[in-house]
Amino acid sequence: MSNYKYIGKSAVRVDGKAKITGAAQFVDDLDFGPDLLYAAVVESPHAYAIIQKINTKKAKELPGVVKVVTGKEFPYRFGLYMHDRYIFAQDRVRFVGEQVAAVIANDPATALKAARLVEVKYKKLKPLLNVGDALQQQGVDRVHPDLANYFHVPWFYPKKDSNIAHFRKIRRGDVGEGFGDADLVYEDNYVVPRYAHCAIENHAAVGKLDHDGRLTLWTASQSPHTQRHLFAEALAPLGFTHQNVRVITPFVGGGFGGKAGVTMEIVAAALATTVPGRPVKLLWSREQEFYNTYQRQGVEASIKVGVKNDGTITTLEQTLLWDAGAYVEYGANVVNAAGLSATGPYRIPNVKIDSVCVYTNLPPGGPYRGFGYSEFIFGLESHFNQIAKQLGMDQVEFRRKNAIRAGDQLAYGAPMHANGLLEAIDRVKQEIAWDTPKEIPSDSSKVRGRGFSLFWKAPAMPPNASSTAFLKFNEDASINIMVSGMEIGQGYLTVMAQIAAEVLGVPPEKIRVESPDTDRNPYEWQTVASHITWSCGNAVKRAAEDARDQIVDLIENVLEMPRDDIYLENCQVRSKIEPDFALDFTEFIINGLMLPDGSWRGGPIVGRGMFMPEFTSALSDPETGQGGKPNVHYTVGASAIEIEIDRDTGKITIPKVVLAIDCGQALNPDLVKGQITGGMLQGLATVLYEDMRFDDQGRLLNPNFTDYKIPTSLDTPDQIVPIIVEVPQGDGPFGARGMGEHTMIPAAPLIANALYDALGVRVKSMPITAEKIVAELIN
Amino acid sequence: MTITHQFDYIKAKSVAHACKLLSKKGDHRLLSGGTDLIGHIKENLATPDSLIDLKGIDALKHLSVTPSTIKIGALCTFSDLLNSKEMAKYFPAVQEMAQTVASVAVRNRATVVGNICSAVPSLDSAPLLLTYDAVVCVVSSKGVRKVPINQWFISSRQSAIRKGELVCAIEIKMPAQKHGATFVKLGRYRGEDLAQASVAVVALPRDRYRIAFGAVAPTPFRADQLEKLLNGKQLTDNLVGQAVTLIPSLVSPITDIRATKEYRTHMCQVMFERAVETAVARLR
Repeated sequence: MSNYKYIGKSAVRVDGKAKITGAAQFVDDLDFGPDLLYAAVVESPHAYAIIQKINTKKAKELPGVVKVVTGKEFPYRFGLYMHDRYIFAQDRVRFVGEQVAAVIANDPATALKAARLVEVKYKKLKPLLNVGDALQQQGVDRVHPDLANYFHVPWFYPKKDSNIAHFRKIRRGDVGEGFGDADLVYEDNYVVPRYAHCAIENHAAVGKLDHDGRLTLWTASQSPHTQRHLFAEALAPLGFTHQNVRVITPFVGGGFGGKAGVTMEIVAAALATTVPGRPVKLLWSREQEFYNTYQRQGVEASIKVGVKNDGTITTLEQTLLWDAGAYVEYGANVVNAAGLSATGPYRIPNVKIDSVCVYTNLPPGGPYRGFGYSEFIFGLESHFNQIAKQLGMDQVEFRRKNAIRAGDQLAYGAPMHANGLLEAIDRVKQEIAWDTPKEIPSDSSKVRGRGFSLFWKAPAMPPNASSTAFLKFNEDASINIMVSGMEIGQGYLTVMAQIAAEVLGVPPEKIRVESPDTDRNPYEWQTVASHITWSCGNAVKRAAEDARDQIVDLIENVLEMPRDDIYLENCQVRSKIEPDFALDFTEFIINGLMLPDGSWRGGPIVGRGMFMPEFTSALSDPETGQGGKPNVHYTVGASAIEIEIDRDTGKITIPKVVLAIDCGQALNPDLVKGQITGGMLQGLATVLYEDMRFDDQGRLLNPNFTDYKIPTSLDTPDQIVPIIVEVPQGDGPFGARGMGEHTMIPAAPLIANALYDALGVRVKSMPITAEKIVAELIN
Repeated sequence: MTITHQFDYIKAKSVAHACKLLSKKGDHRLLSGGTDLIGHIKENLATPDSLIDLKGIDALKHLSVTPSTIKIGALCTFSDLLNSKEMAKYFPAVQEMAQTVASVAVRNRATVVGNICSAVPSLDSAPLLLTYDAVVCVVSSKGVRKVPINQWFISSRQSAIRKGELVCAIEIKMPAQKHGATFVKLGRYRGEDLAQASVAVVALPRDRYRIAFGAVAPTPFRADQLEKLLNGKQLTDNLVGQAVTLIPSLVSPITDIRATKEYRTHMCQVMFERAVETAVARLR
């Protein structure tokens, strides 16, 4: 064990008191005074239609209305990886709920009323509501006729005259030969529907254009700097640049990917420019949260696997057809990430993967915790279970045999790094008592089953995504750290404080880390991809080391102590060779040290740190996906579950679930355990309860918690056992790597596999509701 | 969500005052818990001219108990049912039902009378009220009338209430003899949910049964045919099996986003079988 003082300890959350006392402020809590205006959007009732005419007269005449804005004023496209999304719909609407116009009024009720008075004349088109229809449609009524003209990042490959926004190919080895070598070839199809994030805080944005031309946005966001960049890009035709766009992000009430990038915030930014001097608030309703932010994309997976009789996997052929929705500016990268990694954490020599991003007339797909991995793992881990069964092999042994190890080639050709997958498998297997018989329930209608699944995930990000940090000392030796990552419940602020604490010998409770303002805090790409602890943690560590070096320089120069003898502890400079020496930081940290002649050296200690990976590359052969190094690292793990099913009702209860994850180094074990618990619950919800339904016109039928069920405290497993595995990440802060998203990834195949174990029923589409189980049993 | 509809708000001083307000021209809605009504106004599903708030009328607040009757006043909430010692003593199944209504916060506001006035097919209180032959006390400026609960539910979302009337209480006769009862509700998970099917069974001495279903027909209903089949006979597996077989012809559930008619029907059978077993066990 390492002898860290603050790392690896469960420090108390630095934001805990603010949140428990209610002192923490979220966007909707901020007071903007009596000048505040309120906006409401006019939404498309159609999934696909041409806008023929917009009449705003009646809306404008309603007393209290300040402005009515349509797409005419903002004919601009924007997006993160591809510029395909509109501030307001232009000639056509592409999903039910898309914003066509907006009203700004003195109060929220007037804004809403006026929005209903805006008359829009549509010519309906046939909506493309599933991947099959969308792939067939090649005519002028494909979702984006102008796709060929859109800007996109160089690693996307849109197909001309089609609804394919991106086609990620992976070709490795020889698939034909691989199937030839196999003793068993097994094929099947799996379906994963769409899901909603359901963060408890709704999206909110307040925009204000000062009379001096500075545009400020207060947003509930995972991505303040990326938002600033996208606002500046989209509004550049109006003369805005980064200098006069500012984003302030207070506390955020949950993200799960849904508050990454830019969605509704662009509307607030645009509207603010039309009413200079007055702030405008746009607050999404729960319904809008469901249909006009991002949704997790649905996928249809076709899997064909070749194995030898001894269980060695020779080949994987997998096609993933993604229902990416009306706009894919972010979602196409989910498709890309899944394509790169759809082998799962397995050593497979011959691989063919097609991951296809398909436009449909459903709400925009986008980032969601797991970023495509939960979606393909459902099929893959269900599939491997069936293969082990057919081979007559223990499924855990099958997984262990093929589990990826350090040095094995990844699907895109680079080698896998050191990892603790085997340890995770073994510890999970032991904890769930895999080799001992299951308990037989006393109630004869009930039966138990066990499921097992591996999982992995890499951050999906541009090769040069970076993090920066400023660190400043105060007179009392307390510290302010300025970063631009977001606290979205995961404990980021606390962990950044722990990292600086470890380097500088200042306890975390003396360190403030707060939410960003892009004018004051340095650059951060986004709080996504489970990369923030790793990436921003490196930046904070470097900032702390920069400050430490300044302290050491000062002591060395002024007190003439050898720098190698100096160490920092409890806000003091100490000496390894002079145990009695102790200089309080408060003696010099702002004012420096005085020389015998009365002059001063040193001054306020301010550190800076930056981290950008320098070994990644998104350049690869588009036909094979080989040649690049798109992913910085993979976090791996294993999970197992025991379920009890009531055969008559189909209801499942969960006596126990176990998840082991190799997070490199748990900087704060309590927070790691919190992620395991929360992620597992979210994953179990997607497989057991959440069930997004659209009607045949593309309208979402359950944009509410009455009919879109996320678990309550009554629906938690009896026991969740978190297991921390620590094989250090060489380039991570104190060896840490990301683990936030991963914890939900294995949940769906766990349930599917446990159900199979209990009843011999293989359900190949999510969710696996009680009703579906009963239907399977009756049939 | 913002309320855009404009309406008058009047706090009624007495039942008579409320009745007078109700008798005026226009769309007037009675406000007690408001857990349905306010949501409907937010969504513009209800656009009343006025809301008549009953919450200040003390006479409607009581859960009153006499040797012969327990009377649930119009302002009694589901939490009041759960907190009532008399309910615990005489009608524990009513508490079992109340425990399944939404969440604690909703139970603290939602009233039982409001529940039956909504007359939605899935309302939780109906099946037990039906099995206990409850009586709905209705008042208007013309006087008082009493409606047996089995005549209360006319069709989906329509009760026997007439314009100008308000429900002041629900009366349940104290059980004349020892009985065993239960309420079973189907939800999609253990958290708060609207019933996709529900069943109440009351078992009385000498092989007498009262059975009612909710959420599987346009209105909650007493299953007379099942009662007829079971009454007076000793309960055997075979007899219960016959009853279970009969159920699909008695219920007429719909398929909607919450459940298919097939699953609802299946679950009526499963829940009935289990409920009978529980009720009989509680009778012993």
